[in-house]
Amino acid sequence: MKVVEFVNIHRAYKKGFDVLKGVTFSIEPGEVVGLLGKNGAGKTTLIRIAMGMLEAQQGEVRIFGMDPREKPIEVKRRIGYVSEDQILPPFLRVGEVIDMHRGLFPDWDNDMALRLSERFGLSPRERIRSLSKGQARQVALLCAVSHKPELLLLDEPAGGLDPAARREFLETSIQLLNEAGSTILFSSHHLTDVERMAGRVVMIHEGSILVDSDMDALHEDYTLALIPRVNGATTKKIIAHEDCLSVRERSDAMHAVFRLDPSRTAAVLERDLGVTGVNCRNVALEDMFIELVEGQE
Amino acid sequence: MLIVVDPHSGVPVYRQIMDQVKFHVATGLLKPGEELPSTRALSSEMGINPMTISKAYSFLERDGVVERRPGRPLVVKAHEGGALKDRKIEQLRESFAPTVRMVKQLGINENEAIRILIDMLSSASAGDTDRERENEK
Repeated sequence: MKVVEFVNIHRAYKKGFDVLKGVTFSIEPGEVVGLLGKNGAGKTTLIRIAMGMLEAQQGEVRIFGMDPREKPIEVKRRIGYVSEDQILPPFLRVGEVIDMHRGLFPDWDNDMALRLSERFGLSPRERIRSLSKGQARQVALLCAVSHKPELLLLDEPAGGLDPAARREFLETSIQLLNEAGSTILFSSHHLTDVERMAGRVVMIHEGSILVDSDMDALHEDYTLALIPRVNGATTKKIIAHEDCLSVRERSDAMHAVFRLDPSRTAAVLERDLGVTGVNCRNVALEDMFIELVEGQE
Repeated sequence: MLIVVDPHSGVPVYRQIMDQVKFHVATGLLKPGEELPSTRALSSEMGINPMTISKAYSFLERDGVVERRPGRPLVVKAHEGGALKDRKIEQLRESFAPTVRMVKQLGINENEAIRILIDMLSSASAGDTDRERENEK
């Protein structure tokens, strides 16, 4: 059974301003999916729809086969959720927040909560308001994972954290994956983190899915071609090619992304567009993201 | 563990892991019979998706670099016959590939390229003897 299913999700905040314009994808058990997109692309909206915090105006969402708006308790019990703007009650002590969560989840694993608390160096007497941003996020993570959720929804969980705290967060999530076999959907602007953690990438641009691909395939079967502005190739001609996903005008060259490996891309450029001597290469996720997103405008 | 992952390289993480294990086997840093860390341990330690590690490990097994015995950790396979030499040569060929492309791109004559390589090799071994002399002092 699929853990998450989005079918043709639409959502607008005001008339004529659509945040999500028909998003469809699903997630199998144990998958780790990185959700990418510029600010305002609709990532948070989508995650909130999965949590049942927002309603889709059109389309269907199923979490463990259930509608999160119809069965909020059954669904939330099996989910762990952390977001950048999540607010814990500032006047409570760390221990009280943890106790509160323990009471909510029948499957709470006390050992795990203790282990994480020790690892993060959290003291139960301390008040939430006196914690640093990183420590507060660690409390939120501890509360989100200690019931060993089947699904972890992380909305920019490492936003605003320093590199060491981010890595710690990443390692804890991976540990949960190892121990509980959880499925993870997470959004992040730290594409190096996504590269380490995700097995699959879904890129959203202006409310629609731009790319949905296995992470390794994105490296091996997608190519960035740096095409010199000579011998008559135009952006129009390049983008018209069926395997071309985006083209971007740069000072002295055009940057095009092809859904082919580098040698096939070079062959296609030569055969179909008559351009030779093109530098075709596999690139890191961050570069790929920028080329794809900026090449759409 | 002796593996570092560079998320900026554009090379898939599973490939980076494979390449580094193969390199360490070829140099002898990882010896036959030596155990590799478990998928879990390595993934937690490196903050990397465990599926990625499993993928790297199963490709290493397919390539005959490591072997899996039921219920035991993955170990480096014994080098049968000339296997170690073959691995060293494979490593070298791979590292020459970009050089070969460069030679072609620059339009340098093959004999000249070979001469440069021989020069560089002999000055590198001269450097080694200098260092040995230094050490003896």
